[in-house]
Amino acid sequence: MRIAVQLFGPLAEQAGASRLEVTPGGATVQDVVAAVAAAKPALKIDRSVRFAVNTDYADPSAPVREGDVVSLIPPVGGG
Amino acid sequence: MFKVTTEPLSIDEAYAAVRRDDCGAVALFVGTVRDHHDGKKVTKISYSAFKEMAEKEFAAIAAEATARWKVGAVYIAHRTGALRIGDASVVIAVSAAHRAEAFDACRHAIEVLKKLAPIWKEEFYDGGKAWISG
Repeated sequence: MRIAVQLFGPLAEQAGASRLEVTPGGATVQDVVAAVAAAKPALKIDRSVRFAVNTDYADPSAPVREGDVVSLIPPVGGG
Repeated sequence: MFKVTTEPLSIDEAYAAVRRDDCGAVALFVGTVRDHHDGKKVTKISYSAFKEMAEKEFAAIAAEATARWKVGAVYIAHRTGALRIGDASVVIAVSAAHRAEAFDACRHAIEVLKKLAPIWKEEFYDGGKAWISG
């Protein structure tokens, strides 16, 4: 399964990319994040980073399916 | 009513979007780019966003405010791209029958937006920059 991943803000800067595709070892957000961390070792994915599947916040244990877009959401600063 | 845009924000648009004959109050919040942060002189700010998700969050914020307070309408817009000192970065307008509900719902909307909306702020100083959250 190939999953599209979006990176934003400081994470996009650290990775030098705002989009990538990964092949996760399982079918949860956590599995996708592990694949992203392996592909982009420069990323600092700590506990402040939240996740979204498509356009909704999702827990690390949430399922992902083919065609989903997973986003890594670093601490936000709107306003 | 809910948008993330690179265009300059319009307070007139926000006001017109929420003003209603059955509402006696419109509360308006405008966030503007400040020229300093932690003692440093800010030269400009760049905002980026996950536009589709942010606009969905804005709609959810409005739905929550409408459920919790008696509000007429809610408008939320956030600008992205490079902003200069004094530019409006966010505009929220809330109409309600009475001022207490309008103020409370507007305050709530900006507080939730700052916590949840997937928007990022990069501040630029003379000789440096930083990502700012919270």
